[in-house]
Amino acid sequence: MKWRIVCCMALATALSTSAVYADGGALFRQKCGSCHQKGGQAPPVNPADKAAVVWQKFFDRNRHATDISGVITADELKSVIEYLKQFAADSDRPETAAIPK
Amino acid sequence: MKKYLLTAGALLLWSGTALAGGADTVTMPANTYKAIMDRLDALQKRVDMLEEGGKTAPAPAPAAVSREEFDKLNGDISNIYDTLDVVETKTLKDRINWGAEVRTRVDNYKLSDLGPNDTQIKYVNGAPTLSPMSGDEDDDNNWTNRFRLNMDAQINPTLSFHGRMTVYKNWGDSDYTTTALYNDMNRAHRPETSGVKLDRAYVDWVPDFAVPIALTVGRHPSTEGPPLEYKENRQRQSTYPALLFDAENDGIVATLGLERYTGLKNSGWRLAYGKGYHSDDDDSSSFSFFDDANAGDTNMYATFLESEIPGLKNSLVVLSYAQMTDLPSSFLGKDSPISVGDMDLYGIHMQASNFLDSRFDIFASWAADRTDANGNFVDYSTLFGRPTYMGLLSDGTEDRSGSSIFAGVRYTIPFTPLHDPKIGFEYNHGSKYWMSMTMASTEMFNKLATRGDAYELYYIQPVNENLFFRIGYTFIEYDYTGSGSHLGQPVETDAELENYYLLMDVRF
Repeated sequence: MKWRIVCCMALATALSTSAVYADGGALFRQKCGSCHQKGGQAPPVNPADKAAVVWQKFFDRNRHATDISGVITADELKSVIEYLKQFAADSDRPETAAIPK
Repeated sequence: MKKYLLTAGALLLWSGTALAGGADTVTMPANTYKAIMDRLDALQKRVDMLEEGGKTAPAPAPAAVSREEFDKLNGDISNIYDTLDVVETKTLKDRINWGAEVRTRVDNYKLSDLGPNDTQIKYVNGAPTLSPMSGDEDDDNNWTNRFRLNMDAQINPTLSFHGRMTVYKNWGDSDYTTTALYNDMNRAHRPETSGVKLDRAYVDWVPDFAVPIALTVGRHPSTEGPPLEYKENRQRQSTYPALLFDAENDGIVATLGLERYTGLKNSGWRLAYGKGYHSDDDDSSSFSFFDDANAGDTNMYATFLESEIPGLKNSLVVLSYAQMTDLPSSFLGKDSPISVGDMDLYGIHMQASNFLDSRFDIFASWAADRTDANGNFVDYSTLFGRPTYMGLLSDGTEDRSGSSIFAGVRYTIPFTPLHDPKIGFEYNHGSKYWMSMTMASTEMFNKLATRGDAYELYYIQPVNENLFFRIGYTFIEYDYTGSGSHLGQPVETDAELENYYLLMDVRF
């Protein structure tokens, strides 16, 4: 019985962790993808375009070409950054096609 | 400030003049005059000092830039950041550093004085068959190529990876499994198996614990250990002294750094676990990964204590102990291997590079083995045509003890036009029941397993930091048969082996 409980807890933890990144991914596609898309206002962008630390520095230095504070809240941006880092170029699962190029 | 000081000085003079009532000559007490002059001197020095300081004063603020210039600078910085993003991402993706080694070697072997006890087992039509050897046998002009692809990566500050894949082949290697249409001349251009020889693949984990501990897990560095780096002309390649253990091995090694506790430089204590032989059911079962019920595994448990020799820089001493359980009976044909017993190995190794700044590198090793036969043996009487029972270094009923010594020297010749070539000599002697785990010896005849005497003289000629040549001569006088095998009773032999070799190494 104990091992079942342990398995359930491990599964729940794994699922909740995935949910964070799933939210970040959905936010990324929705918020970022509104402009960054093929034929859009900005070229498509994907997590695998940069390494994780490079993504972090990009936002720390406030280098986005346009002001996005009106499009995405600080908490949402935090989730998106976590998603970008999780699937960055140097991760074990680089995401190259979250937004088709 | 300067202005104020000058003004103050002028006022001081003027005040003196005014006090004199406007007359041309001022009269004042000598001590007052002296005080004024001292004050003037002090002010002058202060002015000089300020003028000197002014020379290194900050440059004036730049003129304000125009909007166009600001936008251009801003754009340039963005471009630099974008370029840095690409470069940094590329760098972080380059996780593995690659290196390579290419060795081409030619050997000229000659076995002589072979007698009735010198036999070998060959496969004829897939069946093991006794093949007597007698007289002399030559193998001149034996060329080989060895290619090693080395890998390493610092995965994170506490975790690193090291790997090596190897291709080692005879020139034009073609045996009975080849055909006229498929052989060494097109082997890399025709589809075959997915096999790649994995020499090493292990991770070092150095956790940030209170005690200095490291774990090495995988197919770990267990070949070409000390002192073989002298002959191989490179850095130390293995944890274990070569006389005791020079074989590819999968295992786990825990290393505890002792330097901070003992004060002895490079001191450490290692515990190792690995498997020597593991037989599974891949010949006879759908579940090929299941253990072979009869064979069991040869597990290895070992411990090593090493340090720099106190007072002797660039030196090493290693105390070793290893136990191998359930050594297998045979790998011949379809015999199902059984355990023939256990074996202990222990020894001491010492070496010193550039001994007392003499340009001599010296080493000495001693090792011993002790078997614990379990009574099992395989009956090869039919094959040999006489009663032949192969147990652990006996017919299976006796425990055996053997030992070996290995010593040598290498001298670096101080001759710059030839890039400081090196000349070395090695000697080893093994007793009747000497048994080492040195199957991966760089010499194909497993020199350090010799039950007899072995001598080797070599000369290393560096050409540059990536290329060197080695020429050598090896002479072995066997006293007993079966060197390098733990099976069967060694018997006397007069066999001798000579080998002249030349090799070229390129490493980059």
